[in-house]
Amino acid sequence: MPELGRAALIVCLALAVYAVVAGTFAARTRRRRLAESAENAVLASFLGALVAAGVLLTALVRNDFSFVYVWRHTSLELPRAYTVSAFWGGQEGSLLLWLLVLTGFSAAAVLLGRRSAPSLLAWTVPVLGTVMVFFSFLLVAVASPFTTQAAPADGLGLNPSLQNPYMLAHPPFLYLGFVGLTIPFAFAMGALLARRSDELWVVVTRRWTLVAWMLLGFGQLLGAHWAYVEVGWGGYFAWDPVENAALMPWLAATAFLHSVMIQEKRGMLKIWNVLLVVGAFALALFGTFLTRSGILSSIHSFTESSIGPWFLGFIGVVVAGSIALIVSRLPLLRSKTRLESPVSREATFLYNNLLLIAFCLTILWGVAYPILTEALRGEPVTVGPPYYNFFLKAFGLPLLILMGIGPLIAWRRASLRGLGRTFAWPIGVAVSSGLVLLALGAGSSIPGLVGYTFCAFVLASIGFEFARGTRARQALAGGSWPAAFAQLVGRNRRRYGGYVVHAAIVLLAIGVIGSSAYDTTREQRLRPGESMGIGDYRLTFKGATSERGANAVEVRALIDVERSGKRLGTLRPGKNNYVAEQQVSNEAAIRSDRLNGEDLFLIAEQVTAESVFLKALVKPLVNLIWLAGFVFVGGALIALWPDAREQRRLALRYGRHEALARA
Amino acid sequence: MLAVFLVYTSIAGGGTPQLRPSELKGRTGEVGLVGKVVGRVAGDARGDGLRFRIRDVEGTAAVPVVYRGSVPEMFRTGRDIALKGRLKNGTFVGTPGTLVTKCPSKYVPEKKAD
Repeated sequence: MPELGRAALIVCLALAVYAVVAGTFAARTRRRRLAESAENAVLASFLGALVAAGVLLTALVRNDFSFVYVWRHTSLELPRAYTVSAFWGGQEGSLLLWLLVLTGFSAAAVLLGRRSAPSLLAWTVPVLGTVMVFFSFLLVAVASPFTTQAAPADGLGLNPSLQNPYMLAHPPFLYLGFVGLTIPFAFAMGALLARRSDELWVVVTRRWTLVAWMLLGFGQLLGAHWAYVEVGWGGYFAWDPVENAALMPWLAATAFLHSVMIQEKRGMLKIWNVLLVVGAFALALFGTFLTRSGILSSIHSFTESSIGPWFLGFIGVVVAGSIALIVSRLPLLRSKTRLESPVSREATFLYNNLLLIAFCLTILWGVAYPILTEALRGEPVTVGPPYYNFFLKAFGLPLLILMGIGPLIAWRRASLRGLGRTFAWPIGVAVSSGLVLLALGAGSSIPGLVGYTFCAFVLASIGFEFARGTRARQALAGGSWPAAFAQLVGRNRRRYGGYVVHAAIVLLAIGVIGSSAYDTTREQRLRPGESMGIGDYRLTFKGATSERGANAVEVRALIDVERSGKRLGTLRPGKNNYVAEQQVSNEAAIRSDRLNGEDLFLIAEQVTAESVFLKALVKPLVNLIWLAGFVFVGGALIALWPDAREQRRLALRYGRHEALARA
Repeated sequence: MLAVFLVYTSIAGGGTPQLRPSELKGRTGEVGLVGKVVGRVAGDARGDGLRFRIRDVEGTAAVPVVYRGSVPEMFRTGRDIALKGRLKNGTFVGTPGTLVTKCPSKYVPEKKAD
């Protein structure tokens, strides 16, 4: 079995090398049949990766501890689902997942590209192949998941904090997002290599970028929810380098999604867009590097890690190679039009881009700071949450308000009078909600109050835009209001899907502001029968229980919860003692209020029958964050959905042959 | 953008230096301390303070630590940890709520310790 896995990876590597060499030669000499054979190598490499993944999966499911990887990341006691999730629980397995997704996406891109953009494919295949060569080489020569040993009786087990349903889904979503960013990168480089100056690569990869960006965003929210319910310190995001690693490519991809619209519509920002797509891909690689190379603990463990230097080298090659290519093609990337006015829709897109990228770079600086200071001064200096939170406010609040301005402002040049008319209504809503919130006591946090006023402005402006569109549609086509609304969204999926995503970001902002600017925390030691108060809640310690679960001893404190004199039930915060792994995990108890989105969050420490140390947090509106995740995916799906009218428009623009059959 | 960045760094200053016990001598401001927990862990983090010693991960210099506040589940003798605080009369007094156990990555289980 391990031989089959190793052989499959070697075949994968050979096919990838062939795709690069033959693909490059074919593209240079315009040999169609050779180019097709390079494309086929990409398709076949997916099969190779599938076989390798199948071997590892089988070994995991069969508890075959002769595989070092299986021994290190699972145990006989581990439930089956988590045995499967151990596939991405360690370094070698997650690299294999990268390769599997990469070859799968590349194969799909080749098959779709054959119909929609055959002329672009010739130079795209070698680029895809290069990325594949890197990952399959790592798996073959540096970090093989198929190393074997004399099988021990039992494995070491999986980190208990990874034994959670969220961990089944969170890493694969992030990987799908990371790897998905390879496709727009490859097509952009392919277009430059082929010396094309048109926007075909943008059009062909729009859905790829959207899908990758959606999965990355959703995966991060899953991770945040996992941290919230499972790690259980009462928060959901801590600016940990591992979290930042996923946030940075998402921010870059968000900027890219916005600025390519300007390129499609007005032929501007071409250089900026190729730089962004390179940046997003490099940050995705950097994210994998951060989480996988050990550089986060210190430079020393980094130099000892097997894959770290390879990753850094490859990122260097990608960035240097792409920049050199862009520089050599600068004449092709000249804009057809210029920015006419700083008060226009294009300009708001540009400001949005600058803010997103500035935020992304400050995060990058924060992540790199300890590494740089250790290298330069021998003493790592870290920046903490205050650093990041400052920039979240400094860049996030202006971004929020731009979401309200952008959709309503005119293209090219907006007149001030027109602006006053358009924004009178949203500004009125924002100011009055701000005053109401102030009366309700939201003034305890000024950034919170400002943030909520901005949120009201954006929601009003989005609502206004939907209402205006629906009215115009009904006037044009008649029929009922709901029908006009459905037609409006159906006929402009990209636009209104985008607005739904904006609404999701506002929900996210409302949840984040509520739970971070207006939360309360109390902690106290309680003996049986004693109680403590927090907000309107009254918490009474009723005693403790201890039970033997599937693979852990579960100790729980029984806490009776009352609010304003009404009994709400019993919460059971506590600890799990994992036997095989010899670890303890914190099991927070959460009561969510469906009506106002508020959570009561309990953490119990030092639980005995005699006493408990109870930490209680009240987090208003925190559930809107999770709701935002679903609205976000919904909006992205609307924007993604195939649209026959759009296909026809594009077919006219890029020639029937290339755009007709676009999926 | 750059202006915002410069204003921030000039007002709030840089970050917190991360030191090993052997580098602690003479530092009076708040610093981060990184090292390995050695010897017996005594006291109560929710009472008058948890008392233990931290040693250089590679080396012999060690410093006594007293800490109050939340303690991660992974904390025990032999683990690598980090916390913030300042040196007072030869004892490192931890800032409540800053103690974290060091792990190369969230996704890689730490197996060597104990």
